[in-house]
Amino acid sequence: MMTETVLEARQVRKAYRRHQVLRGADLAVRPGQLVAVVGENGAGKSTLLKILAGLLAADGGEVRLGGTLGYCPQDPVLNDNLTVAQHLRYFAAARRLPGLDRAEELVRRLGYEQARDQTAGELSGGTRQKLNLTLALAHDPGVLLLDEPYQGFDWETYLRFWDLVADLRARRRAIVIITHLVFEQDRFDVLADLADGRLAPRERSGRDRHAR
Amino acid sequence: MPADLASSTAAASAAPPAFRQFPVAWRFALRNQGRNRLAWLLLVAFVPAWYLLMLAITGHTPLTFRLFATGRTLTVDGGHLTLISAGLNSVTMIVGFAVFAAIRRTLAFDRRLVFAGYRQATLIAAKTSAIAVIAAAVAAFTALVLLAFWRPSLPGWLAISAAFAVIALGYGAFGLFLGVLVRNDLEGFFLIIMGGLMDTFLQNPLGNPLANKPVLEWFPSFGPTQFAVGASFGHITLWGHLALGLAWAAAFAAAGLVLFWIRTRTRVHAG
Repeated sequence: MMTETVLEARQVRKAYRRHQVLRGADLAVRPGQLVAVVGENGAGKSTLLKILAGLLAADGGEVRLGGTLGYCPQDPVLNDNLTVAQHLRYFAAARRLPGLDRAEELVRRLGYEQARDQTAGELSGGTRQKLNLTLALAHDPGVLLLDEPYQGFDWETYLRFWDLVADLRARRRAIVIITHLVFEQDRFDVLADLADGRLAPRERSGRDRHAR
Repeated sequence: MPADLASSTAAASAAPPAFRQFPVAWRFALRNQGRNRLAWLLLVAFVPAWYLLMLAITGHTPLTFRLFATGRTLTVDGGHLTLISAGLNSVTMIVGFAVFAAIRRTLAFDRRLVFAGYRQATLIAAKTSAIAVIAAAVAAFTALVLLAFWRPSLPGWLAISAAFAVIALGYGAFGLFLGVLVRNDLEGFFLIIMGGLMDTFLQNPLGNPLANKPVLEWFPSFGPTQFAVGASFGHITLWGHLALGLAWAAAFAAAGLVLFWIRTRTRVHAG
């Protein structure tokens, strides 16, 4: 059971021209596991996540994904002319979902239902980030890749976010979060330091430590 | 996690989709185009102002205009000819600008939609048809405003309207092409404004002594200008020239859509 993985990266390499960013990064994520990829600015965290998501081609190595994927980019990718509700419909159409139940639930849980009819261009930075996250989660993916997902969140939203993560883990969703600062290391099962183009995982002792 | 959510998720794979991709993409593409307030302002304020200004500058000097299809040279009212050029020019700028802005600003978002599972062909079809609707609406408005300055014969006015619609499609497609091609807004706006001005006014002998030279046949507004002038002054219908304008539109659209396809494609789908 311990060897079952839903996301696995082996010896991933990537260079931008002569600048070698990833030099053989390895990562294995199991269902229900919460992994932090930690590293300094420019260490290649976002590059790694894009390769894991399949948005960017690696120069070498292998990525294996089991199940559906949700990817939340660092900068919200939205259409400023469309309302929150229209974004939900657009992505439900993209993913051929039978309804908006899950998306509406996420809007409530992240606490921005009053912004449903506002266009993305009118939203505050924090609310844009909530919508960005909602779009990545609305199809209830098995594996979640989140790039600095709580940037711009106020404290209450930050706590709501962790409540949501706790639920996802309880339902055995695998989550990889990129962060350059880990305030509360206890929340994570694995802290993987990205340095010199390689990941060095620090496995934490038990699943019982994740609750806040 | 509440049980209802878990069950709704479990049902996701079996239940039919709540939203069909084409109607959603079409409606939002149209809305996205329509939300460009500057384009609306240009349409309502710039079109009549441009007609008025160009007519005031030109007066009603007689001009000789060559119909390339027949080899005939027509002597026409320079003011009326310039109104046709001004209308064509307004349409190139407004439609080109509106489509360029809308395409460029949503490119990253469209890529995210494709990544989430939107079919590229569906998005492309929705965008193309939304552009066609916008182009037709702008052309119709510009042709209606023309009537405040000049009352050509009904067939003449219909031909001018058709020429406006075709050039609108051409520059809508040009805007699409630039929207997926250029790196920043200024390059795109410059190319649309300067391209449209040069293209439309070089066809007019008032501003360009070389207007009757064959080199102008290679400009996008050549066909629509010839068609509009032929029908409104010479009482001949040059369908081939209207089709030439459509060919420009098709060529720009094809180039733009291929680039769009390349720039929005992803390696895997997040499903």
